[in-house]
Amino acid sequence: MTTRRPARAALALPSLAVYLLIFVAPLLYFFVISFWRVRTFRLTPDSSLANYAKTINDHSVSLVFTFEVATVIALLVTCIAFGFAYVVRFKAGRYGTLLLFVALIALFGGYLTKIYVWKTILGQSGIINSALITLGIIEEPIKVLLYNPVAVIIALSHYTLPLAILPIYGALRSVEDMPLHAARDLGASRFRVIRDIVLPQCLVGILVAFSLTLIFAAGDFVTPLLIGGPHTAMIGKLIQLQFGFHGNAAMGSAMAFTVIGVCILIILVFAVVLRLAFRIR
Amino acid sequence: MRDLPTLFWRIFGTIVAIFMLSPLVVLVLFCFSERSLVTFPITGLTFEWFVKLFDRPAFWDAFQNSLIVTGSVGLVSTVFGTMAAMTIARLRSRFSGPLMLFITLPIMLPPLVLGVALLTYFSTVGIRLGLFSVILAHIVFTQPFVILIVLARMTGFDYNVVNSARDLGASHARAFVTVTLPIIRPTIIGAAMVAMALSVDDFVVTFFTIGGGNTLPTFLWGMLRMGVNPTINIVAAIIMALTITASIVAFRATRYRG
Repeated sequence: MTTRRPARAALALPSLAVYLLIFVAPLLYFFVISFWRVRTFRLTPDSSLANYAKTINDHSVSLVFTFEVATVIALLVTCIAFGFAYVVRFKAGRYGTLLLFVALIALFGGYLTKIYVWKTILGQSGIINSALITLGIIEEPIKVLLYNPVAVIIALSHYTLPLAILPIYGALRSVEDMPLHAARDLGASRFRVIRDIVLPQCLVGILVAFSLTLIFAAGDFVTPLLIGGPHTAMIGKLIQLQFGFHGNAAMGSAMAFTVIGVCILIILVFAVVLRLAFRIR
Repeated sequence: MRDLPTLFWRIFGTIVAIFMLSPLVVLVLFCFSERSLVTFPITGLTFEWFVKLFDRPAFWDAFQNSLIVTGSVGLVSTVFGTMAAMTIARLRSRFSGPLMLFITLPIMLPPLVLGVALLTYFSTVGIRLGLFSVILAHIVFTQPFVILIVLARMTGFDYNVVNSARDLGASHARAFVTVTLPIIRPTIIGAAMVAMALSVDDFVVTFFTIGGGNTLPTFLWGMLRMGVNPTINIVAAIIMALTITASIVAFRATRYRG
């Protein structure tokens, strides 16, 4: 290569500076303050695990609830996303291109927009209720559609589904048709073809889809705030409160890193389960 | 081919597609409904809510802020990201695994954590919260996409054409501008569009790093907290239109196929 190496490396410097100065440094500092304390509204250096202890003592109910909801969403979305990607790749022919295009459009379209739309669909005077009343099926609006965990699960699944489809579809693209046909010809059932040939080849895609969905659902505060109602106490709502006027940033940091830690733990468990289920038998 | 299980799979795919798309269609529809509540049946169509919204100076402030932020983020992210991708593309592949993980880290983090971490950092370092801090924050999570998209284009790139230009006496910069850039221009445009779509849509990180003032998403948030109002639909639909337009341009430019 005729290249002077330093000159080439210099090209990456601005980008590296952004990573180090506005990503790595803030995140490290944010991690460090999780061991600090807030005294008279000021962060003071300390090295105590008190914030973590308090997180687990005070917010265990909300943590457990958050991860129940997030795990349900991640599993649900990963399964639907796999089914959809499978249809696009193997079952829909030219129609598959259209389906994929729909997924790509749905990938964008606005975060707040999508969550807000579910409020107008599920609300008391919302679309479902008013349509049912107009059709004469019900007389009084159904109140339980909105402001509950199910509404949060629907809205977050809707938001994360396109996000989960892409990595799985990407993995399915490199799965070849021939071995599938061969297996069918040799008498394998449709189910066995998927379980023994297709799934083992796209485990990474599935793991990425699951992780993205889980992390997003566990860390979200907007959806529970907008459509979860007062009883959907997800941890994101509580973290966000720590950064307002009466907040405690050290506490908020410990809560945030607890969420990340549990996410990593769940992802590891999921990865092990996947490997056991589809590789080693 | 057209057996029963295949039909079943296609019906499943269609239902999922409808689930993903119909809420967005519904939203656009209700921008024009004359009733002040989002309810069926739609009794008549009107542009009244558009006029009401466009009369509010606060909307135009938010709109302008969004343009400033998204424009700056698109420019800086694309230039920095492309430059980095050029270097990374020539690295030996044994570094690429850990490097990829490092690059994608800002995207894997929940936006809430990135937002509050940057808020804490900016206040400590003494960067005043405002449009500038929002732009910095957006560069962090848009740049990885630019790097990944451009990098994907550079794998399998034929460096012989660049080397020929270099052998014939072109400087690095000249070889890039006259040879590499024209070849990968569609990809760079696509990457810029993705970065801008993400920036214009971001609510969570902006919410924590903007201090006062509004961009379109935080303006929408303010409206949502105030209660039901048909102009909310329009702001939501404008954000949707902006991101979807940008993404369609991106997919066309990069000929994305999954």
